[in-house]
Amino acid sequence: MRKIHLMNEASRDATVAIDNVRALVKPALGLPGKTLSFRRYVAATEDRLDAAMVAAHGEGYAQALIDGDPEIDLEIEGRFIDDTAPVYLAASGEVLHVSPHLVDVVFGPDGAERERKDATNTPGNVNDETPIRWTGRKLPRRDAIRRFAFRRTVALTHLDGLTHDFLFAMAEQLAKEDALVMVGGGAKGKEPLIFQENGSPYRGFLEGRVDGTRYKLLLHLSNLELRVPDADKA
Amino acid sequence: MAKPIIVNWQGKSSSFQLAKLDRSKLYGKRQRWVLDPEGKRCERAELMRDGSMLIRSGMTAQGYFDDDGTWIRNDQLVGLNEAGEPVEKVQSTLGAEQPLEGPLDPSDVLDVTVRSVYMLSPEELDDALKERLLAGDVFRCAFNYRADFNAETALLLVNDDGYFALVGDPLETRWFELAVAVNETDDDAADDDDELDFEMF
Repeated sequence: MRKIHLMNEASRDATVAIDNVRALVKPALGLPGKTLSFRRYVAATEDRLDAAMVAAHGEGYAQALIDGDPEIDLEIEGRFIDDTAPVYLAASGEVLHVSPHLVDVVFGPDGAERERKDATNTPGNVNDETPIRWTGRKLPRRDAIRRFAFRRTVALTHLDGLTHDFLFAMAEQLAKEDALVMVGGGAKGKEPLIFQENGSPYRGFLEGRVDGTRYKLLLHLSNLELRVPDADKA
Repeated sequence: MAKPIIVNWQGKSSSFQLAKLDRSKLYGKRQRWVLDPEGKRCERAELMRDGSMLIRSGMTAQGYFDDDGTWIRNDQLVGLNEAGEPVEKVQSTLGAEQPLEGPLDPSDVLDVTVRSVYMLSPEELDDALKERLLAGDVFRCAFNYRADFNAETALLLVNDDGYFALVGDPLETRWFELAVAVNETDDDAADDDDELDFEMF
């Protein structure tokens, strides 16, 4: 069970559970009455890739494909790929036998490189010693849905009676205010939420709904504002 | 150019051209590069566990196979519901008029997980619909970029920056409540005795 350490508006904190919210089940591809499996297989060997084919038959090797199927290695093609180990190839094409150097490269909206620095691991921060806290930013639900694209949603749920009361009160308050509250990590609650090491950062917005003794406390996650890129405005 | 989104609300038709909103065009992007000792970018590959083959980009494909290992062509596949029964194919909704539902409650909007966002340019926009959109109302319709076995949901809205369609799938959210676990006690007169019995220790 995944957990989140959360602080409310009154600066009381508790650790509660995260419940995955799933999309409605979509039809699966298949054949009626048959069990199918989705598998990877070898479609071409290294010596039959485009560069090798160009080297062997020239740029316009279409006729060679029609005449003789030189792109197919009957011994190997179609072989299922089940278990592999990742490797890195140096620019020379040789398998790298030393630890590679990792760098993080940042590109601007124009596609130009802005920054390059040694890669560092970013730890998750939702179940940290420092709780995720309410920021002072509340948005009417009607406005929030027109400002952000919510790409993921998780539900927060109680672990015991005390955390039930903690979450129920939060849901009730937000439902009454008809608002989403922005939550964030770090000492000031300004950092985005990261659910696991090197995971995607998201802005988090809590929404509460109450029906009698039942509640929903939904954490909506967004990494995209609804606005037109400057390049498209021009 | 893709065919437009065409919607019908209260008997009036409106249409919009669409362009995908790419997150990297708003904020840029960050990539983790792997460099070799000479500072050049490495290529990620895979090695079969038995060491028999190095698999590079472009060497693999994937597909559906039956129990005998026979490849099933994509055009033979059908959509199956949870009971394993075939479902009807859903044609692309682009260029085909779709009924518009709404205005929606904010909860209905928040119960959709957004997969893609499109910026819209109205080609033809009904005045009444425009008025509702500018007032902050959100509408929905079915959306299917290309024919398959499942239509997604498009949320149509307007903000200060323009018209947008948020495309995604409805979510199943559930209610939580405290499980009441109170055991019935025996109605025994002895339990009403306020005396504390220390002799039992």
